[in-house]
Amino acid sequence: MTGWLGMAAAPRAPRAELKARVLARTLAARRRPWGLLVAAVLALALGGGAFWARRTIDALRLERDRLAAQAAALQDTVTGFIRGPATRLIQVPVSTGGRVGAVTIFADTARHRWLVRCDGLAVNAPDQAYQLWFITRDGTRSAALMPMDADQPMVMALEMPREGGPVMGAEMSIEPRAGSTEPRGPTVFKLLL
Amino acid sequence: MTPSKRLSQEEQRSLVQRLRARDERALGELYDLLAPWVLGLAFKILEDEAEAEEVVGDVFVQVWRHIDQHDARRGPLVPWILSIARNRARDARRRRRRWWRKGERFEQARVAEGGAAGPAPPPDEAGVPGWPVHRAVHAALATLPEEQRRAVLLAYFEGLTHSEIARRLDQPLGTVKTRLRSAHAKLAETLAHLSDWMT
Repeated sequence: MTGWLGMAAAPRAPRAELKARVLARTLAARRRPWGLLVAAVLALALGGGAFWARRTIDALRLERDRLAAQAAALQDTVTGFIRGPATRLIQVPVSTGGRVGAVTIFADTARHRWLVRCDGLAVNAPDQAYQLWFITRDGTRSAALMPMDADQPMVMALEMPREGGPVMGAEMSIEPRAGSTEPRGPTVFKLLL
Repeated sequence: MTPSKRLSQEEQRSLVQRLRARDERALGELYDLLAPWVLGLAFKILEDEAEAEEVVGDVFVQVWRHIDQHDARRGPLVPWILSIARNRARDARRRRRRWWRKGERFEQARVAEGGAAGPAPPPDEAGVPGWPVHRAVHAALATLPEEQRRAVLLAYFEGLTHSEIARRLDQPLGTVKTRLRSAHAKLAETLAHLSDWMT
């Protein structure tokens, strides 16, 4: 019951302005947790956003560096193909879907690689693709499957086959989208070197 | 001074419920009822008007934040608030002693306010809400023997431990403990009728 002992002290009249001060402070104290909560959420969101942005920037920078290295490597490859003393240039006019285009082959006989560029080929039907073949002494071997879904040039580097004897020529045909084991569809071109 | 106001038990319960419901007007009403007593208690302990006003602010912030912790089954609201005020004032006094050992300001305040015991309440303070309780507490204290009353007041208002009271009164520790125990039992009996009462 000593709780009531505080009432033994004489009461004092508070100054008139004290009430407004105390109430303002008390109510501000009530609101502060929400303010803190909002501030904490904002800080978290900003921190998370900054973290996400940093990670994205890092990832994009890595991707940019990777693509730049890839582009440089391709440039070296193309330069090697075009300027190599053992490179042979073959250009084949083709007609697909009523369009006239060309297939250009840079054949590097020293490194056994081809660089093939296709221009002006018609876009394939959804279930079809162009397939390029090496003609060897033992028959045809698939070199590349090239689904053409957009009207744009296509460039690819191909390793020549090590089995089946020397490459004697090239052939391109239109095959099912999954490709064939040997040319069965319409022939786009067939060339003996 | 605020005109006299007496709350029925129903009004008291309603006030507590409104405080729990975060009714800001209820907080204003509570201030009107209790601020003179909280300020008076804090001033009696601190003997400094500015510090006592700070304590008033602390007390109402704590009451507003923790009104849910008040359990009516364990006691009425006013003693609960007064105990908060007492603890806050004692904390403030400890801080002051720690940081202001010379006590110059303390002494100036004593002189300015006319002494440590504080001024006697002006006659019109009989109109303050809670005045009958004030009288009842004084009457209860008056029924105690002088040694018990001194021990109780030293413990409550100055926050002295039993050992400190024993040294201050130059009495054996066991005697002090016995006196305090007897005094508290008697006060509990005398003030029991205040349990569910708030003015």
